[in-house]
Amino acid sequence: MPAQASGVLLSGNHAVSTAVLLARPDVIPVYPITPQTPILERITELHSEGRLKTELLTPESEHSAMAACISASATGARVFTATSSQGLLLMHELLHFASGARTSIVMCNVNRTPAAPWGFWPDQTDSLAQRDTGWIQVYSESPQESLDGVLQLFRVAESARIPAMISHDAFYVSHALEPVDVPAQDIVDAFLPPFKPEFCLDNELGASFCAPNDQQSWRSSRVDLDAAMARVPELMREAGRLWGELTGRSYDLIERYRMEGASVVLVTMGSMSGTVREAVDAMRAQGIEAGMLKVRLFRPLPAAALRAALAGVPCAIVLDRNYSPGTGGVLHQELKSALFGMKNAPRVHGVLAGVGGVNVSPAGIRGLVAEHRDRAPQPAPVWME
Amino acid sequence: MMQEIMIVGRGGQGAQTAGNLLAQAFFAEGRYVQSFATYGGARRGGPVASSIRVDDKPVRLRCNIERASAVLCFDSSLLDAALLKVADPRTWIVVNTAKPKEAFKDLGDFRIVPVDGRDIAIRFGMGKVVNSALLGAFAGILGEPRLEILCDVIEQTAPRSKEQNLAACRYACDIARHVH
Repeated sequence: MPAQASGVLLSGNHAVSTAVLLARPDVIPVYPITPQTPILERITELHSEGRLKTELLTPESEHSAMAACISASATGARVFTATSSQGLLLMHELLHFASGARTSIVMCNVNRTPAAPWGFWPDQTDSLAQRDTGWIQVYSESPQESLDGVLQLFRVAESARIPAMISHDAFYVSHALEPVDVPAQDIVDAFLPPFKPEFCLDNELGASFCAPNDQQSWRSSRVDLDAAMARVPELMREAGRLWGELTGRSYDLIERYRMEGASVVLVTMGSMSGTVREAVDAMRAQGIEAGMLKVRLFRPLPAAALRAALAGVPCAIVLDRNYSPGTGGVLHQELKSALFGMKNAPRVHGVLAGVGGVNVSPAGIRGLVAEHRDRAPQPAPVWME
Repeated sequence: MMQEIMIVGRGGQGAQTAGNLLAQAFFAEGRYVQSFATYGGARRGGPVASSIRVDDKPVRLRCNIERASAVLCFDSSLLDAALLKVADPRTWIVVNTAKPKEAFKDLGDFRIVPVDGRDIAIRFGMGKVVNSALLGAFAGILGEPRLEILCDVIEQTAPRSKEQNLAACRYACDIARHVH
């Protein structure tokens, strides 16, 4: 008798809205954009039904939405927002401000191609282009991971006082209707205590945040941010472990899939991980020792975990669903820098796979492995057909 | 064995809704499902596609369907060589049309089943709303999901005209069972 599916059917976007309901945020400034809009729609429905008790703000742009998020978080409010592509790019200036001001905003970004040309397809260039803004970044493979991830990020962002972004791919996750386990409210309440920051904007205090600083104190703000970022991997591990105790679904910074004795490891992030699992199983069935390394936490980059996972592996092939003109795939560059100087590091190949949302099938992935595993890595970007 | 189903239509016809209803019916039977839609600048009249995977274990694939076990086509103008790339001679292809089966023989050796969803919709007072009729016909031809489960889902989700939707679904299922 096969296993019976359980849970409720939710799209990735509605899984995020459900997590937001469970997290009890105080303020939600949000602006619609395809393919994020179903997140906003469900949040506004829950709000109008009186189930989500929050201050819902719908300002005139994503830039204004982020400005409102920063102010609200600075007062000690729990804050959520969501966006995608052009909306995230419009927020860029304030993403730096949000981390510099040490806010604890949690945001969901739906990965979508940046214009031009205009498009609505899954591609991670939008969020990867924000890698230097000081936000924690997590990539989700499925609606379940998006729901679980939002709740974990509230805990981590509020503890580290660093804003956090979870990204999931357009359509393959955002619009994929699937069985999702929704935890009970008391489980979430036990996991996620109310946000009580040590310091916040307060009318009684008469103190301001983020006034012009001299050089030394500006530098100090970044030294402090660096120290806080350094705590994030352990906070993420702890959140993932505790979530596992409460729900049976534990999470780590990275995930190893069938890496035992692997001679070739595919490294990727987000929705493509699911397809890679099928390709790995098919290759293992043919006697090819393939495995997968899924990068869940991208910022801070879990360099130590990546080095430990890939030590002694002969060949790694990074699949990047993004494109940084002039270098190639962002994860490819990041992985090479994380492994630099390691004695038993793998040969690292980078393939631009699925850029612009083009289809990447298990057969296509198996073809890439056959093509690259016995070759020297190419210095120039390699485009998958 | 995983089933992969494609539903294609034009924006506004209800093809995406139909995909989600079908996924809900399979899920109500205890199956693992994944239903996702892709659209560009979605607009009324533009082509839209919904993809459904049904399996006895969690669905992990996150890519397009390359070989469908069944196709439901809301508009016969979309049934062309490009769409048929996902089909093989065993793929059931249910197409919403008043034309007879012979009208599609130039497309090649395919199991094409014409269903006049518009006629059924009008007969049951549904006007141009064809998705309950087409879903009923599709379930009748595939043999799953079970008609009563599909009807439960339609009853729970139809925003209005529940009885008409259910009658159209049942009627279309019944005639479809007899066409092959």
